Amino acid sequence: MTDIGTALELAAVSKRYPGTLAVDGVDLAIRAGEVHALVGENGAGKSTLMKVIAGSFDDYTGEVHLSGKSVRLDSPSAARAAGIAMIYQELSLSPPVSVAENILAGRLPARRGMVNRRAARAEARRCLAMVGLDDLDPATPAEDLSQHEAQLVEIAKALGAGPCILVMDEPTSTLSRGEVARLFEIIRRLRRRGIAVIYISHHLAEVFEVADRVTVLRDGRKVATCDIADVTQGRLVEMMVGGAVSDLYAERARRPGRVRLEVRGLGRWGFFHDATFQVREGEILGIGGLSGAGRSELARSLCGIDPRDAGRVLLDGRDVTPASAADAIRAGLVYLTEDRKTEGLALRLSAAENLLAAIIPRQCRFGLVRSGPGRGLVRGLMDRLQIQPREPRREAAMFSGGNQQKLLLGKWLAADPQVLVLDEPTRGVDVGAKVVIHRAIAEAADRGACVLLVSSDLPELVGLSDRILVMRAGHLIGEMAGPTCTEQAVLLAANGEGALVPP
Amino acid sequence: MTIADATTRAALPRARLRQALAVGSVYVFVVVLLVLGRLISDGFWSAENLLMVVKDVSILGTVAVGCAFITMSGHYVDLSIPAIMACSGIVAVYALGAGLAAALAAGLATGAALGLVNGLMVGYLRLNPILWTLAAMAVFDGVTRWAYGGKWVYVDETTGPGSAFAGLYRGNWLGFVPVSVVLFAAMAAAGHVLMRHTGFGRRVRMTGAAYEVARLSGIRVRRTVMTAFLLSGVASALGGIIKTSLNMYGDVEIGLTYDFQAITAVVIGGVTLAGGRGTMAGVIGGVLVIGLLGRILPLVPGVGQDEQFIIRGLVFIAAVGINMAALRRSGRSDV
Repeated sequence: MTDIGTALELAAVSKRYPGTLAVDGVDLAIRAGEVHALVGENGAGKSTLMKVIAGSFDDYTGEVHLSGKSVRLDSPSAARAAGIAMIYQELSLSPPVSVAENILAGRLPARRGMVNRRAARAEARRCLAMVGLDDLDPATPAEDLSQHEAQLVEIAKALGAGPCILVMDEPTSTLSRGEVARLFEIIRRLRRRGIAVIYISHHLAEVFEVADRVTVLRDGRKVATCDIADVTQGRLVEMMVGGAVSDLYAERARRPGRVRLEVRGLGRWGFFHDATFQVREGEILGIGGLSGAGRSELARSLCGIDPRDAGRVLLDGRDVTPASAADAIRAGLVYLTEDRKTEGLALRLSAAENLLAAIIPRQCRFGLVRSGPGRGLVRGLMDRLQIQPREPRREAAMFSGGNQQKLLLGKWLAADPQVLVLDEPTRGVDVGAKVVIHRAIAEAADRGACVLLVSSDLPELVGLSDRILVMRAGHLIGEMAGPTCTEQAVLLAANGEGALVPP
Repeated sequence: MTIADATTRAALPRARLRQALAVGSVYVFVVVLLVLGRLISDGFWSAENLLMVVKDVSILGTVAVGCAFITMSGHYVDLSIPAIMACSGIVAVYALGAGLAAALAAGLATGAALGLVNGLMVGYLRLNPILWTLAAMAVFDGVTRWAYGGKWVYVDETTGPGSAFAGLYRGNWLGFVPVSVVLFAAMAAAGHVLMRHTGFGRRVRMTGAAYEVARLSGIRVRRTVMTAFLLSGVASALGGIIKTSLNMYGDVEIGLTYDFQAITAVVIGGVTLAGGRGTMAGVIGGVLVIGLLGRILPLVPGVGQDEQFIIRGLVFIAAVGINMAALRRSGRSDV
């Protein structure tokens, strides 16, 4: 139970991408039966290091020892054979296929070339029981699972192969509080069985709740490994960013002015209804609520991306109700998506092309692109948002997550928006990038733009917003501002409790 | 800050170099083939021979420049290129009675119309480009056969417009540059400017690199895709007209294999099949590679017509494979 044996040991492991050393001579020892947290800002090398362990690269350097034996993890199958299982941020279940087949993918029990269904069901049930999903029917198609169940099935799938090391990359990013507690219970159960769990997370509170030890990475190098009992949250953050962090949410320079944006009775049947509100010049209006409450849907319809069934949008008294994203952008309404990878950035194109993507018409004269002004704009944005590395021609895919998010924000700031609608602008982003993004949002508001902020990050929502509308089950149920506007109050309201001032 | 500035300054030329190499890789191949040709035949580097190489692929190149816009937009290829070429050629011959300009206009308009149909179907109705253009190939081809009964439609060389039409392929500009090469060069230059320096080119790249991202960035993606197919239709028509001038008759089969050859040139030139990555300069390089192969292979003992087809197929497979492997190696996935 309290096995102190070393399950996995890395010695001077490095991995170079073209142009960057993503992991730089990292030594790391993971003990059997411990939960080992890995923290660091985006771009610190956590994901790359875990990919090395998962066998994603055949060109890393350094030594890997498993239970004392030297191994070469140069393919995913080599890593699997070595007893390493990985659970990625993005789930890997095939939607139309049953839970049982997903769990047993690649190792379905067969007899004379035919699948032995009974054995498959039994094995799937055994795996599901390990994650507390005893009553889930293995025949259920994966697409019918909730996000939370899918996450657990993913873990069951990983456990099915009988791993001794389980890597979890941000497993709680889509889970509610209660679901997180259940997940932690499962992690503790795995730990008791002697499985080493490597846990990657941005949520330091979670790290303190579940981990035994923690390793901090910065700029591809290991800063330290400590027992969780020996550090504080503040100390960890210092190690991550390499210095003390100042107050995250500074006071803003100006107070909201006249009403600029008016939304009247906006609705999309089945998603959200009768949304009516106003946003003032220079105001940051937060929209709080649980996931699925219709916040993103409201934001998308407002910016012409999704259809709408009712309502009008007025900007400075003029009707600008958009029929398409192009319409909205021309009117000055822009939407920063929560899904950076598929809707936000063209990862295959350069940073510069992405930054200028929304303003192609403005760069053209007689159809020809004038490159001069664009180049200056790109340089200015990269400076202002501290995008690293400062290479406009570098492919967007080759930037770290935090810098990609800055590129996405930069793309919309380039459009010089009148109304900036932000959907989870700092999801999965490190502390340093978060500060830069928050400052840029505040600056945009100070220049007179209306900002609509949809965020599940409560400290961010409360800290940045001048006023918060709470949405629940497709309806705006109330508004809060001033001293009554706290994280607890927003959370209570989102769950349908607490006192609310009617809008 | 100073450290950041220094790295930026150091990294910029490197990024530029990398980009130059990406385009250049096909030209490395061009140089290798040129050297190979010189080793096999002494006269290979003569101006006439090199002009012949380009003339060989002037029709293909004209078509490939149009096709590149479709591939770049992430919609692979127009499989109805052969039918568009044939139909436009025949229409041009019929319109010759009203003069050369009318013939060209009628031929190009035919290509534009057929390209527009493809563009509407694939761009606006979001039909699968491979399936739709495969079906369109059958329909366009069938209609052309039905209308002309599969007959050859001869160009009457005794008339003024007829002999001018013949000059499209056979004629020389300044006495030594074939007109078809001039047309190809003009198409290549126009294609380069369109792809690199216009808003339309930017939109095509963005649409091909990430369709949803482009849509959310306010790009009218449907119109962009439609325009790409329309352009390819016009380029195919021009190719078909020049091919008809080469044959001196309009025929339903003149465009055969041009669809496959065009996409081969585009892919050898470094445009990813998934779209959004590549340059027009690369495509021209791809066209030249096909031209050089076509001149060199017959000089190699034992390589006949059939073997050339096999080699062309293998080159296509190798180009796709190498392109994909290089991208995977650098951590990018375009599949």
